[in-house]
Amino acid sequence: MDFGHLLQQILNGLSIGSVYAIFALGYTLVFSILRIINLSHGAVFTLGAYFTYTLTGEPFGFNGVLARAALPFGLPFPLAMLTGGLVAGLVGVAIERFAFRPLRERGADPLLTLVSSLGVAVVLVNVIQYLVGAEIYSYPGNVLNTFGNVPAAINFGSDTNAIPVRTVQIVIFIFSLIILALLTYFINRTKIGKALRAIAEDPVTASLLGINVDRFVLLTFFLSGFLGGLAGTLVGLSVSIAGPYFGIAFGLKGLAVIVLGGLGSIPGAMLGGLIIGLAEAFVPAELVAYKEVIAFALLFLILLIRPRGLLGRAAAQKV
Amino acid sequence: MSMNEFLSTYGALIVGMVLAAILALSLYLPLMAGQLSLASPGFYALGGYIAAVLSTKVLLQNGQAISPFPVHLLLFEMLLAGIIAGLLAVLVGVLALRLRGIYLALATIAFVEILRVLSLNLDITGGAIGIFSIPQPFTNAIQYLLIAAPLLLLSAAFVYRLERVRAGRALLAIREDELAADTMGINPTFYKVAAFTLGAALASMVGALSAHFLNTWNARQGTFDASIAYLAFVLVGGSRTFLGPIAGGMLLTALPEFLRAVAGIGGLPGWLSQFLREGRLIIDGLLIVLVTIYFPQGLITPDLFKRRRKAAEKKES
Repeated sequence: MDFGHLLQQILNGLSIGSVYAIFALGYTLVFSILRIINLSHGAVFTLGAYFTYTLTGEPFGFNGVLARAALPFGLPFPLAMLTGGLVAGLVGVAIERFAFRPLRERGADPLLTLVSSLGVAVVLVNVIQYLVGAEIYSYPGNVLNTFGNVPAAINFGSDTNAIPVRTVQIVIFIFSLIILALLTYFINRTKIGKALRAIAEDPVTASLLGINVDRFVLLTFFLSGFLGGLAGTLVGLSVSIAGPYFGIAFGLKGLAVIVLGGLGSIPGAMLGGLIIGLAEAFVPAELVAYKEVIAFALLFLILLIRPRGLLGRAAAQKV
Repeated sequence: MSMNEFLSTYGALIVGMVLAAILALSLYLPLMAGQLSLASPGFYALGGYIAAVLSTKVLLQNGQAISPFPVHLLLFEMLLAGIIAGLLAVLVGVLALRLRGIYLALATIAFVEILRVLSLNLDITGGAIGIFSIPQPFTNAIQYLLIAAPLLLLSAAFVYRLERVRAGRALLAIREDELAADTMGINPTFYKVAAFTLGAALASMVGALSAHFLNTWNARQGTFDASIAYLAFVLVGGSRTFLGPIAGGMLLTALPEFLRAVAGIGGLPGWLSQFLREGRLIIDGLLIVLVTIYFPQGLITPDLFKRRRKAAEKKES
């Protein structure tokens, strides 16, 4: 493999890996505070992609209750994506309020909450299917053209030996890096971020120190939903929205990312996302059918070798 | 409706309910020891593939699948499926059951996904298309009860006994407090792997039977969706007595038929009957959420029987 092709694979891997990272951070934020894995995150991811599609003003397909319906207006794509993410964040807040808080207030077993979040995922996915059917949706035209005339691919090779990388992949990678940087700043440098870290460390002490835990839990779910929704739109942009179930597979892969990086570790989720993205990009063409196994094989392996993940802290065992 | 009409309309549903009840028991077994394993669909799919491959590619007569398929060969397939799944489960269990709680659930999710992608891509499993025309041992659906019903009765009787002997009490002790159980001389790993293996063998045997019952087998049989469905059987029915999963499996399998019947009642507004017909999975999901919040032990709990027994005793005295 020459340098050009290596660069091509690395860029593709980083592009999808950075989306994995954004998505997985949604799991990580909730886990670091509540010690619970929110399995409805994959469904929120799907919702985000559909919200963005709706907000661009495109009509739905022929199936479902909302067949052929469309908004009377259409937002430009970047605005639709951000608004879609915000709405997904609000869905996250609603999920906290209705499916998590009643169990949390009772101090229920975390496994019960896991199951309740699964129930939410089943409801959301099937509501989407009920409303707009199971067909594949794509965002209209070349959405990058909001910023003027952008070529569909950039050539990293010579004229004779072309090594194209899709412009969308590069834009996604740069956008994801910005989001990751903003989030890191927010968690590490702002007062709200400090409060979130305090709650993650010890919720009881944090509340004794005057931090309103319930309010920050809501904020966490909002952020988590926002990140999930954005990731959904980015994947929809890179490939397409492959029906209501496309978040389930992605959601499971996100679990591999957070376990690999270390449950509850923010840098871990970023590292895990990039590793799995790169690993998938380097699967040789003749084995491409097995690409989907990589994330789960890594998940299984890391659980056996080092259950706390690459950057995770070992959980103290209470006796 | 005559008896024959009833059986030909609902035969497949009744068999499906019995099979669902057994699958729910397969998930209930590791849960007795407090281990949330979502691996059952993986073993179910494995058992189905064993039966499908054997009956369409190996156990042939003059190069053709034997039809009608002899019942004793079906039983042999189920036995073999149970043994192979059991061996695989010991291997997976020894590795994975060192993990607790969420980590174990995640490991079993990964296990099911790995098996699914493999079955989608291997030649022997027919790739994405799967395996077709699996020969039938019976001429109509209801006759599958001849095998499904005894399997349910045997496994239910087994779990009923298990809940009352030392091994079963060891499982419950591990569920309540693994560390304390360990200190009392119970070997947690042994009991956890044993429960996991039994569940796996049971799910695989149901898979082998289902492959014939459904006539075709493909990678959609062992998915994450199926994991959720089985989990719902146990949680909605009840996770504290073996009757819970059985009731849950039967009720939730019959629910869509029931809703369809309700939707057919005249006088309902159009949107409602459409929702009842097509929104079944939404209702399933809502049930999971509501039951975990309001009935954390499920609908059927051991207390239910205790209370009735006490009431009866009071009446006598």
